[in-house]
Amino acid sequence: MADRFSAFSFVDRITALEPGRRALGRFAVPAGLSEFSTCLVAEAVGQLAAWVAMAQAEFRRRPVAALSGETRIVGEAAPGGILDLGVEIESCDSDAVAFGGWARLADTPVLELRRCVGPMLPLEDFDAPEAVRGDFETLCGPGARPGRFPGIAEPDLALIDRVPGRRLRAAISVPVSAPFFADHFPRRPVFPATLLLAAQIRLALRLAGETVPPGARLRLARMADVKMRSFILPGQAVEIETAMRSTADGAADLTLAAMVDGKRVATGRVEIVPQGPA
Amino acid sequence: MMPVEITKDEILAVYPKVAQTMADALGCDVEQVALNVPLIEGLGAESIDFLDIVFRLERAFKVKIPRGKIVEDARGDLPEAEFERKGYLTEVGLQRLRDYLSEAPADRIRLPMKVADIPRLFTPETFCKVVVRALRAVQGAEH
Repeated sequence: MADRFSAFSFVDRITALEPGRRALGRFAVPAGLSEFSTCLVAEAVGQLAAWVAMAQAEFRRRPVAALSGETRIVGEAAPGGILDLGVEIESCDSDAVAFGGWARLADTPVLELRRCVGPMLPLEDFDAPEAVRGDFETLCGPGARPGRFPGIAEPDLALIDRVPGRRLRAAISVPVSAPFFADHFPRRPVFPATLLLAAQIRLALRLAGETVPPGARLRLARMADVKMRSFILPGQAVEIETAMRSTADGAADLTLAAMVDGKRVATGRVEIVPQGPA
Repeated sequence: MMPVEITKDEILAVYPKVAQTMADALGCDVEQVALNVPLIEGLGAESIDFLDIVFRLERAFKVKIPRGKIVEDARGDLPEAEFERKGYLTEVGLQRLRDYLSEAPADRIRLPMKVADIPRLFTPETFCKVVVRALRAVQGAEH
């Protein structure tokens, strides 16, 4: 149980809370990590919103990642830094929570999330409600022990189809077991949507890289209409695909999809731009 | 209390924005959306898409649409026990649904019918009517 509340938990403290409405939180990105991806920063903001929603639902229900309208990425979260997190809850009932949020690193914006929606499901299916309530009290009080996130090995991508500059398809190896499954979630291991997204973004960066001069560096600027249609389970065979929609002024607009057994389980769009002064 | 009838003009007034919302949520072309296409069987919508559609319509029309509103509105003032039994619609419940989802072909609303299968009847027109009712509620609150 050592991985519970540590291997995939990205809020160390809730520093301000207006129940059901808004919250501020903090996460110290462990200094020993080689990187802390944009997707994990988005995960941290989503987790803060989930804490507000779970408390509002008196720990009877919890949201799961499903819809993310728009995420704008303007900075990075370097290991060793302290992430400040904020969420504004637009609505929260027993069916769904709708929210927006942001993350900053020492007053420098990292990303902003808009129009996110998570369906609320019975919490007891995922974790012991009383333990979750206890964790929430820890976060609102002294805070959890910082530095407990050990990092995550990104799943390998195996290319299976390629139309240069137009489309890439790859298989990703979702592990059968990994420490994060014990935290996400203790009673029902689910491959985190943000890790799937991270793999899709790696593939999209690779495709966008085929359309720019060699050596040019690219970065993710925006994610839009990200939708998770079903859970991905440990060890499941997942194929991901990215396709070029358009390019203009060095910026590339791409679609993302993920399939399990031929069924679409996730969709979205990303915008990738040349790295450099904004 | 029977709801005041919604006119075709009211439906057509909101339809273009509703159709665009459906296309955005389902990732299809707006040309594929038609007033009476079943969203599940015709456009491949799943339950998460309905949640997406409802939130998008709320933002597009600046209205509140509580979740589960369609089935609840169809039931109206009928007690739940008279509307459904063990997850199946009663005869009276079925009639309520026929009146409410008047756009759905009558032969698709027949016994036995599970409450969980009601979303199979939803079309863009169903959501146009939800929006018209929500807009009326906003206008009613302003007067």
